[in-house]
Amino acid sequence: MQAIRRAVVSGAALLFIAGAAYPQSRGDPARGAGKAPACDACHGTAERPPLPGMPTLAGQQAEFLVLQMILLREGLRDVPQMAGLLKSWSDPDLQDVAAHYSARQPLRGEGKADSRLSERGAGLAKSMGCNSCHGGDFRGQQHVPRIAGQREDYLAASLTAYRDGKRTGIDTSMNAAMYGVTDADIRALAHYLAHQ
Amino acid sequence: MNPFLPRVFRSRVVQALAFGALGLSAAYVLAQGKPPTEKEVEARKAMGGYVPERMKNPYLTGNPPKLTVTPLEEIPLKDIKVPPGFQVEIWAHGMPGNRMMARGDKGTVFAGTRAIGRVYAIMDKGGQRTHKIIAEKLNQPNGVLFHNGSLYIAAIHRVFRYDNIEAALAKDEVPTPVDMTDAFKLPTEVHHNWKFLALGPDKKIYFQVGSPCNVCEINKEVHGQIRRYNLDGSGMEIVARGVRNSVGFDFHPKTGELWFTDNGRDWAGEDGPEEELNRLPANKIGANFGFPYCHANGIPDPDFKIPNPCANVELPVITLGAHAAALGMRFYTGKMFPAEYSEAVLIARHGSWNKTERNGYDVVMVKATPDGKNAKMTPFMTGFMDPAKNTFWGRPTDVMLMPDGSLLVSDEQMGAIYRVSYKR
Repeated sequence: MQAIRRAVVSGAALLFIAGAAYPQSRGDPARGAGKAPACDACHGTAERPPLPGMPTLAGQQAEFLVLQMILLREGLRDVPQMAGLLKSWSDPDLQDVAAHYSARQPLRGEGKADSRLSERGAGLAKSMGCNSCHGGDFRGQQHVPRIAGQREDYLAASLTAYRDGKRTGIDTSMNAAMYGVTDADIRALAHYLAHQ
Repeated sequence: MNPFLPRVFRSRVVQALAFGALGLSAAYVLAQGKPPTEKEVEARKAMGGYVPERMKNPYLTGNPPKLTVTPLEEIPLKDIKVPPGFQVEIWAHGMPGNRMMARGDKGTVFAGTRAIGRVYAIMDKGGQRTHKIIAEKLNQPNGVLFHNGSLYIAAIHRVFRYDNIEAALAKDEVPTPVDMTDAFKLPTEVHHNWKFLALGPDKKIYFQVGSPCNVCEINKEVHGQIRRYNLDGSGMEIVARGVRNSVGFDFHPKTGELWFTDNGRDWAGEDGPEEELNRLPANKIGANFGFPYCHANGIPDPDFKIPNPCANVELPVITLGAHAAALGMRFYTGKMFPAEYSEAVLIARHGSWNKTERNGYDVVMVKATPDGKNAKMTPFMTGFMDPAKNTFWGRPTDVMLMPDGSLLVSDEQMGAIYRVSYKR
């Protein structure tokens, strides 16, 4: 942590052209597409599903993606492969890639849903208030991710990691939300959400 | 099955992982397998004080941090308003998430962060600022303090000291820090425990150990405090109790007494309880400031009730607005600003999330007599928020005086530091 990462001259990082009055850079999906193959290799495409355990990024909230990529790049969310990949990516790179994936059509659920498991998951999602942040259709908002249609194995692993304090987001709200949830309930939630 | 438990604890304010401190009844945790009764649901809500029904909009959620570099031309400097005669400039930028500031003897400004886990050193070279990331991968390294050539960094329970740091920085190096974590023995709960550091006139290091919840029964010997220590981590003393979450303090230039901001609880209503500016009288070391039973200027908590909740509670010098998140503060002791600013308190209000109509997002000035009487708050630096659209672009987080009497203001949202100066 004491390593000097870089010295930046304030004023040297003016990569954006000023447009309308005080625009906030949103990222360029076309530029992001250029970097996407490195992501698609594991995270999949419309034709080829993600590798086991990998989340789909298609249709994900751009702001969520940017924040997560920063946490991964900074080593605050500990996934060594991602830290390695993102090490050389600048903030505008991250914004471009996030804009690209947020514009992609989200994947639909994998296979046919088990109706009993789904019903249980639906009840849990309602009683836990998942949609108060993730939205009525679980598409997320700003820094809150889309969880509808996310890969089931990834959802189950993430929810478990939040419950067990092995992962935190930009804050600890998901850890609090998952406190004390059983493995069986996590399976039901993941199944239900993956098939939305 | 416990289909109801997280219902309460989903609160985005985060009830913390410190459930011991919540005084959570085992019955609730273990009552799995059957749906909760209405009474249980209500009891659970009350435990974390999460009562969305009290708000106009029950779906209020925290503002996301911005962790990307904001290019200079995307900072709406022209929107910032200050009183006549004052000027604002962008002093440094490109430091995502910069928050609390400390200044070295040779002029380096150090800035802590939260979500991005870094500490920045900002150097002034011939009127141009350069910055370097001197620490990273830390858990919310909010607290920074400079004393006697050394930089102290506090990240939740971890404390580091970087000796002779400015000499090292001059050679483009960063010294290996002394890890003082074991000496301070701080609690590890994360929520409300990003530290604010200050050096007292007694040459002791002061910081808070906040309450790891929105509102809850706390262990008074551990949480909800401001403490002081000798610089080596020995001699711990609790100087203030019943403090929910202070992220800013300073010492009165005349009396040397500790004054501090404190944030009021959430989910009790749109209009309060308000944030506080408090004063710790010199003869009341260890005084109680009311949390969790008594808030603001004497408002009993709606969920945590005891008889006479405000008895023997030190009430604030002034309240600082509902949910406005009053954070960093300093007394003005410089010569540059007009006389009315002498010994006034300048306070950065980070801005609300638990309120439908946004509040704060500015720097205010509080004038009061040294005994904390006759306090009056006036706006000082505004324009970070558009009340008509209910949007914001900037979040003032800390203020710090420069030797020439100008004021630095950190903006966590823009990753920038502004300099406010005055010309007669």
